[in-house]
Amino acid sequence: MREFFRKNKKILLIASIVLAFILPLFVDNSYYMRVLVNVLIYILLASSLNVINGYSGQFNIGHAGFYCVGAYTAAILATRFGLSLWLLLPLSGLAAALFSMFLGLPTLRLKGIFLAITTLGFSEIIRLTVLNWTSLTRGPMGIPGIPFPKLFSYQITNNTQFYYIILFIVLLMLFITKRILNSRIGRAWIAIREDELAARSMGVETFKYKLLNFAYGTFWAGVAGCFYAFFTSYVSADSFILDEGFSILGMVIVGGQGTLLGPVIGATFLTILPELVRSIAEYRLVIFGAAIVITMLVRPQGIAGSKMLSQKLGRSTKKKVTKNKGGDSNVSTS
Amino acid sequence: MFFLQQLINGLTQGMIYALMAIGFSVIYGVVGLVSFVHGEVIMLGAFTGFLMISFLGTNLLFALIVGFIVTWILGMLVDSLAYRPFKDAPREIPLIMTIGLSIFLRSLTQVILGTQQRVIPSIFEGKYFVIGDIRITYIQIIIAVIVIALSLALQQFLYRTRTGLSLRAVSMDKDAAALVGVNVSKTIRTGYSLGCALGGVSGVLLGIYYNSVHPVMGASASMKAFASTVFGGLTSIPGAAIGGIVLGIAENLGVGYLHSGFRDIIAFVIIIAILLIRPSGIMGRKEGGKV
Repeated sequence: MREFFRKNKKILLIASIVLAFILPLFVDNSYYMRVLVNVLIYILLASSLNVINGYSGQFNIGHAGFYCVGAYTAAILATRFGLSLWLLLPLSGLAAALFSMFLGLPTLRLKGIFLAITTLGFSEIIRLTVLNWTSLTRGPMGIPGIPFPKLFSYQITNNTQFYYIILFIVLLMLFITKRILNSRIGRAWIAIREDELAARSMGVETFKYKLLNFAYGTFWAGVAGCFYAFFTSYVSADSFILDEGFSILGMVIVGGQGTLLGPVIGATFLTILPELVRSIAEYRLVIFGAAIVITMLVRPQGIAGSKMLSQKLGRSTKKKVTKNKGGDSNVSTS
Repeated sequence: MFFLQQLINGLTQGMIYALMAIGFSVIYGVVGLVSFVHGEVIMLGAFTGFLMISFLGTNLLFALIVGFIVTWILGMLVDSLAYRPFKDAPREIPLIMTIGLSIFLRSLTQVILGTQQRVIPSIFEGKYFVIGDIRITYIQIIIAVIVIALSLALQQFLYRTRTGLSLRAVSMDKDAAALVGVNVSKTIRTGYSLGCALGGVSGVLLGIYYNSVHPVMGASASMKAFASTVFGGLTSIPGAAIGGIVLGIAENLGVGYLHSGFRDIIAFVIIIAILLIRPSGIMGRKEGGKV
């Protein structure tokens, strides 16, 4: 099975991209299209979190905060100044990245759980600020009426058109990430994950690269937030509670950290699974929690994960460093 | 007088936070990992108290004891699910397990008991003492007595009993403790359950102090426990207690003088400030990097 995937990687990759492009032809239900768009938003979020957690080993659990920054940047600028989606996508990304620099500059020296708690606190501070700064964000009422975006003079309204936009963004993100991971920067990130001290003694400026990694990961979270704002045309602080951050983390973990494919599988699986049992909708989060627990018990490295991160996170240092396969795992979309 | 009143209220709230944080700190000390399920343990403790007092009409003491036992058993379950199978696995896995369990328990409670807020009948009908212009309610005194009594009992347990000795040994060095004949996994289970049970008791107290319980109260409660523990330095029990009281007072003064929306922000500001200024906490020993 594994051998088969490895041999036919290119073919499978192209096949899955083609499948992703023609998928809307077979789905004529607007609700299913909406689910598919949600899947892609979560793929973008999980993949961007994976860049931080999986590739440089920094434990960020407050990704929802950066998602929130992106969404609110887009919502505020679009409703007040009428900026378009295409301009706001990079702008929201930059806003999120800026916030991550703001958080990262003082805190990236912290390790492990301390950094995790700081990101968690940051995410919650963002949400509570959004909830209480009524003059800017309308507080608990949220911001409704974000206009539908235009492509040239063509109005984008239905879910299928949104699907193609987010599909394009996800593919772009995965492509750029793959290129970066195979470059000097990506190698530095992986070196920091495996052993920060060794990386530093080899001349890697660890702090700079960690900051860059944080900014890059959160940039895409901001982009996802911007898309989300335009897609639902309404944002409110309720969408960015801690559970959202935990869900994204769960997708990365269930899919497998430190591979490009893992978060894609994890996000697809954990977004579609609760939809399949829609008749018992209130059990959605119960299933979500149970899925994380069961995955951890059965396959701790995640569905698509190889035995990695062992050196960095393992309790025993006697374990062999497994060869990193992160850089050349294949890319696919659902 | 307003200041003193806020101080008293903050002190009471801080006592409850201190108890949560002590439980949290015991867990961190023994297991060496942060438990994300602690908030849900507190929430379930509060619901146990609610069910005992509202439905069965038992008195407070009995509710506290049942809360203690229920969360102790819950702690044993979490230990067998999240920690015992992953003794040699990467540290991240038990952490994720506790996150998964926390989502699972919270949403299951919401499904079973409904999402609305439940009201606990107030005990002593809000009777209070008046000293000068300050009111001290009976409930505040009872909370203070219970928290101080439990802290002293914990102190005696840790320093006078054999189990306490092995708990302290395991929290210092697991391998060395195993070498001198301590049953490490049994001790971890005891320590984890003990931490959870303290959390459960604080949940009952939280419920009766605010007269209400609801399924999502765990998230904010666990952040308060986090903040207090980080303030004191993750492994120090006295530090956690001081952290809890400082947080309670800071919150009440913040709400009194600034704005009620600041209540939950203050905990995070304290976390971030302490981590930046003194990452090992005010009473923590120098270590770091544990996930």
